[in-house]
Parts: sequence; structure tokens; C-alpha cells
Amino acid sequence: MSGELAEISTFIKASNPFDTLPDVVLEQMSKQVQICYVRQGESLPPQGISTPSLYIIRKGTLSVINNDQQLIEKLAEGDICSLFCETGADTDIQVQADEDVLLYAFEFETLLEICTRYPYIGEFFTKPAAERLSAQVSKINEQAVVSSTLMNRAIGDFFSSPAITIEETTSLQAAAQTMTERNFSSLLVVKEQQLVGIVTDKDFRRRGMAQGLAITAPVSKIMTTDVQMIDVNCSAYEALIKMNSRGIHHLPVSQNGQLAGMVTITDLMRQESLSSVNVSSMIAKAQNVDELAQISDLLPKLQISMAKLGTSADNVGKTMSAIADAFTCKLIDLAKAHLGNEPVPFAWVSAGSQARQEQTVSSDQDNALIIDDSMQEAHRPWFTQMAQFVCDGLARCGYPYCPGDVMASNDKWRQTQAVWHRYFAQWIDKPEPKALMHCSIFFDMRSVYGKESLLADIRQQMLEKTRDNTLFLAHLSANAIKLRPPLGFFRDFVLTDNGKHKNTLDLKHNGIAPVVDLARIYALSEGIEEVNTLKRLTHAMGTSSLTQGSGKSLFSAFEFLTMSKVKHQAKQLLEGEETDCFISPNALSKLDREHLKDAFKVIKDMQSVRQTTYG
Amino acid sequence: MLFQRWFGLNALRERQYKKAPEGPLKSFLSTPFPDPKTPIKDVQLLALDFETTGLNPKKDHILSVGCTPMHHGVIHLANSLHTVVNHNIELERENVQIHQITDTEQAQGQPLEQVVEQLLTQLAGRVMLVHFAHIERSFLQQACLQLYGMSPVFPIIDTLQIAKRRFDLSDTAYDPSRLRLVNLRQEYGLPPHFEHNALNDAIATGELLLAQLSRLEQGMGTKLKTLLC
Repeated sequence: MSGELAEISTFIKASNPFDTLPDVVLEQMSKQVQICYVRQGESLPPQGISTPSLYIIRKGTLSVINNDQQLIEKLAEGDICSLFCETGADTDIQVQADEDVLLYAFEFETLLEICTRYPYIGEFFTKPAAERLSAQVSKINEQAVVSSTLMNRAIGDFFSSPAITIEETTSLQAAAQTMTERNFSSLLVVKEQQLVGIVTDKDFRRRGMAQGLAITAPVSKIMTTDVQMIDVNCSAYEALIKMNSRGIHHLPVSQNGQLAGMVTITDLMRQESLSSVNVSSMIAKAQNVDELAQISDLLPKLQISMAKLGTSADNVGKTMSAIADAFTCKLIDLAKAHLGNEPVPFAWVSAGSQARQEQTVSSDQDNALIIDDSMQEAHRPWFTQMAQFVCDGLARCGYPYCPGDVMASNDKWRQTQAVWHRYFAQWIDKPEPKALMHCSIFFDMRSVYGKESLLADIRQQMLEKTRDNTLFLAHLSANAIKLRPPLGFFRDFVLTDNGKHKNTLDLKHNGIAPVVDLARIYALSEGIEEVNTLKRLTHAMGTSSLTQGSGKSLFSAFEFLTMSKVKHQAKQLLEGEETDCFISPNALSKLDREHLKDAFKVIKDMQSVRQTTYG
Repeated sequence: MLFQRWFGLNALRERQYKKAPEGPLKSFLSTPFPDPKTPIKDVQLLALDFETTGLNPKKDHILSVGCTPMHHGVIHLANSLHTVVNHNIELERENVQIHQITDTEQAQGQPLEQVVEQLLTQLAGRVMLVHFAHIERSFLQQACLQLYGMSPVFPIIDTLQIAKRRFDLSDTAYDPSRLRLVNLRQEYGLPPHFEHNALNDAIATGELLLAQLSRLEQGMGTKLKTLLC
């Protein structure tokens, strides 16, 4: 009678990587099983087993502990322990039973035979978690390449080259003639071969004709001087996002630091009519908050379609953040239409996920105002009213008020540059718990509207203070590693155990936030200005804070976790539920579960490194 | 005294050996039972389970046999055995529902003689491990009587007895259904198993013993004599 051990082979089949084996092989395997039992507190390998073996946990939990009695990993039902596959295996590591454990053991010899026939099984055990994960992430990225066009293509495919330039002394008439001849809607303006500005059709109309300038006047009178540039190697998607968030339609392209050409929004849209572009232009055209609120109803759909397209989480975050930027800019414009122009310069800055360009539809608003030091008491009401209007407007557009009141509408976060300098100095000198919390929010700031230099100055001084400030970084590190990834996450005790999210996995707090925190610490210790987590990691790789290898592992872990979040939220949005970051382990495929575990392992490892660095 | 009974058992084995007809029974009886002072981890065990057509060994039949050796606290499935016995009888419908062995499967089974021979070979030098010893002991003895004209002695560990002894120590009354294999396994935190398959039940019994031993003060060092039924 065959299949009498069906129960055992079914169990083995449920354990990655054996799920890929044909049933016949599983049946053969189950006939080779040695069942053993380890008493609570006892160590592996079990007494009766003297040959190198692999263990699958049938019931109970094991703790993997190093020589310093630190918990490295928890293994539970269905998990595999491959630490005893070799004789004289790692003596630094102990595996202990937390409770009585029932184990299935396979002799390594038997397993080797299977590994030679099915190389995937062998790879699974020999590759470290980080490598398995990066293989998985690149596989997903490959799918993304197939399913989308714009985001993985470089600007090189779209821009027009060479760049057409004119001297700043060129007359308006000569400039207009050149544009007409070439059929261009814009020209780049140079002075001594340096890019100093850009002129578009609109500039001729608004700053030229409307102002009654003579056709002999130099173009420097009508050009826009704050020119954004993008490197030719950036993705077309990034260019699109940059244009959307700034509300511009032309972007000069640089190659090796030299001006190489120009890309316009029509160049990109011709390739792909992207809904995010439509959303941005709708925002730009909106007349009032009601219209904006209506447009915001489209965001869930946009996120779903991006997730469906296979857009990477990185791009979803950038797009959603750019849209949040666009809403903010529009709301400030609406406020100004009502209140008049600002009395003194200011910068509206976003903090948190919007600043890092990692926002999704469920993100709260985090923002602040940096006002020029020239502000007088009499100017205060203007800023108060503007901030209140914008924050209320954002809330109506689906960005919930920040539960911690980190918003420009709060007096405390609507201050002059001098006050902000003081804030940062205080937080860094006295890293108390509350200060550390503010650090993690305000160290990730990005200017969305207004005078960028206001924030740039603050950031520069802040980075000078934090860089190599080991005491402060130690405090920040200690704070950051409080959020630990769950080790054996599908057992009840490591899941969220109360309230509405009982027995779920908190992807945000246990997975994403720890990487964000780590990346911030690397950036601060290395004086890196970037706020986007992946960019921070990229820049920190190869410095003394982060090795290349670890950097890549964290990069993959973050990509995988954010991708899981986006997929999870897309599913919730489709089912008309509110979005969150709580995933039920049961809803995950066995494979995703394994990859998640790999991601957690990587994070855990990096946290341990942090801990030892700043003990 | 258990101790004496044990010596009696080994002495009885020797007396039976002298009388036994040549063949599988005699060779089984030729191997001495292990020393009762041996720690359990060093004792060779054979976890065993029968599926039968009923509870009366005189009238009913062994339908299937499942067994797996255990040593040093490890159950070795590689040497496990599962056989259906062909008695050329018609099975009763309600029984079929329990053990799920059909007439067709029975017809493909082995004759009782062959099965018992295999079993005796496996049992030589080993201690039988069962849950509720009465069934396996009486049916195996009855089969031997029928085949060789003699019913041999068997050293047996009974997981039900071990549990019962523990329950009896407490003064409170307990529900006898707690002594069922499934319920005991649950009580010891073992996973549920597919019941009424002789091999699965034998493995389940082996696992239960391991769990029971882990709760005993001396664990795997517990002496054989304290476990015999």
C-alpha cells in the first residue's frame, strides 16, 4: 500500500524549498525521515543522531543563539534548520528548544543525492538569505521591465540632442526667430558656456509682450533662472516625476556634467499616456479645494494601476510623492490667491515619507514651514492662515492630519530659519527620546515650494553637526534598533497580538521603518544629503558605515518590503478596504513568506552590526 | 514485583524456546530480552500497531500491521513496515469505514503466516511499543497459537499505561477518553495525525513515548523496567 506516509510527505511539501519537488521524490524522502524529540532547554543535534543531518520542525520552536547568548533567529513549525548539515559545523552557534520540539531529520547524504538531481534545493541551502532575496528582487524587476516601458528606460531614449542654446544677450526677436525656425517651444540660455536660464513660449508672452518689453531687449530679461537639470542616465520616469512635481514641461539633460539636450513632457507623454501625468495636469488646472478633493479620489486607482503594471515600489513612492507635492503647491497657490503674496520668503517643506519620496495612498501628512529670518511679527498671521489652509486642504485631499501634529499648521513647526537652526542644535546636543523622535521626522526634509536655500542651509549645518558625532549617532542607533523585525513571524507570539490587527505582521514598523532608520543613520554619519532611502543606501555603500555587500542586501530587502506593501495595498484598494501595512501571514504565498523572512534576516543582521558599532 | 515478573518473563522465554518448533517463533525466542536496568535510550524498540476486524482475538482478524523501529530516541522510518493481511474473508462495511482497508486491498495483502514471520524477525531483541497493549498482545499471541501451536511472551511498553499511571497519581477523577492516543498526543502538544492507519498509529505511538519520556525526570535515561507494563 503506497502513500502510507502521505501525512509526512504532505508536511515536507509545505516547507520551502521542498515544495518544488515532485511527489514521488517527496514520498522517497518521507521514507528516509528520522523522527526525534528534543526536550525544552536541550540543544540540537538530538542525542540519537550522530550523522550530519537537516532538520524540519514538525512542532514547537527553536532558538538559534550565538556565544554571547544573543538570539539570532527563531525557528518554528515548518522551518528548516540546516546548521547541522556538516560535521564540525559552526561552534559559535547553539540551537536550543524553547519548548518540547518534534523534529524530522534527514541524513545529509540522502539530501545530497536529491540536491544533485534538483539543484534548486542545493542552492537554497548554500545561498545566504541576502543573495536569495536579491535574486528574487531582480526577478520581480525583470517582470517590471516587461510590463512597463517608461520607467526602466533612460532619458537617452527620449531627449532631443544637441541642446539648442542662445547667449543671454541675444535679443528677444532673434531668440523667437530661432525657436520658430527650429520649431522649438523652448531654448536654453547660456553665458560664457554656462547654463543660466531657460526661455519658453510662455515666457515671451508673460514676461515679454505682457510687460511691453522691446523686441531688442535681451532674453535674460524674460528667462527663468532656476533651472532644473537631469542626468541622461536617469530613467524617463524620474524626469517625468521631476517635471510633475515642479510643474514644468521642459528639462535640460546633462551628460557627464555637460549640457547635452532637452526633454519635454510631450516627448514622454507621446511614449506613454500615463495617468499620473493626467492627474498632475488636472491638479494644476483645478480652481478650488473642492476640485482638488475630487481629483484625489483618483489616487487609489492610480496606485492600483501602477501596482498592476508592475511598477516598482520605488516608482510608486516617487509618483505618489510627486502628486502630494503637486497638491501642496496648488494649495499654496490657492492660499496666495486669497491672502496675497508672501510678505517674506519661505520654504514649505515636507517631512517623513513624502520627503523621502516613499509615499503611498495611506500616508499621513508631515510638513513644516521655514520662514526667512527677515520676518516681522506683523507677518505672522499670513503664514498662520496659509499653513492652516494648506493643511486643511491636504486633509480634504485624503492626506490625514498627522497624529503627532507634525504640520505647518502647528506654531512649533512654522518658524524662522534661525529657530530651526536652534531646534536642530538642541536635538543633536541633547538627544532625549522626544528629540530623537523629532530627528527621525525632520532629518528627512525636502523643500516642496518656495525658497529652497532656506532648507539647504539648515541641512548643511545639521549634517556638519551630525557627521562623526558618535555620541549622537549612538543614541539614534539605539533608538532605531528598538523596532525589531519579527524572527519567526508566523507564530502568534511574534505577531501583533492585540486589537484589530491581531495575528498580523506589521510590515511598516517591523520591516520598512527599520531600514529607513538605518539608512538615515548612514546618511547622517557620512554627511549624505539625500533623503530617499534607496538613494541614501546607494550613496552610503562603500563608506565606512556600510559595506557594498550589506548595502546591496538592505537595498533588496527594502525593495522587497515596499513592493509587498504596495501589492498588499492594491489588493485592499480593489476590495474597497482602507489601506494599512498589516499583512496576515496566511495571505502570503509560501514563497513570499520565505522572501519576507530573508528580508527580515538581512535587516536583523544589519541592526546587529549597528548595535556592535555603537554598543 | 515487576522486576521478578521480568526475570520470570526471560525465564519463561527460555522455557518456551526449548519447546518451540523450529522456525520463526523459535528464532524469535532465541534472542534474550534486553536487561531491565538498561536506560530506555539504549533499548531497541519496535513501535507497533494493528488494525483488526474487531476486539475478540478468537473471532476477529488482524487486518493490517504497521511498525517502525526506534533507538536512541529516534524513530527510523527507513525501516518501517506496513502490510495488509489477506484472510480471504469478506469485510464488514462499518469496519471498512474505520480502517479504510477495502476488500480489494485485502486481496492484495500477504498471508498471515508471512506477516507474523516478518513481525517476529523485527521483534527479536526488541521491546514492543504499543498504545493499549491488550489488542496487539492478544492478537499476536492468538496468531502464534494458530500458526505454531504456542503463544509466546512479549516484553511490552504501553503508552496508555504510562499515561494512566500518571493520571492515577492525582486524586481527581479523569475522563477515560483522555487516554485515547489522539487525546494524549494533544495533551502532550503533539500534532494531530491520520488515525486508523496501522503505520501512522505506530509512528504516533512512538512520538507519544518520546514526549512522555521528556516529562520524566530521567528522560532518556529512564530505566526500561520502570516503563514496562
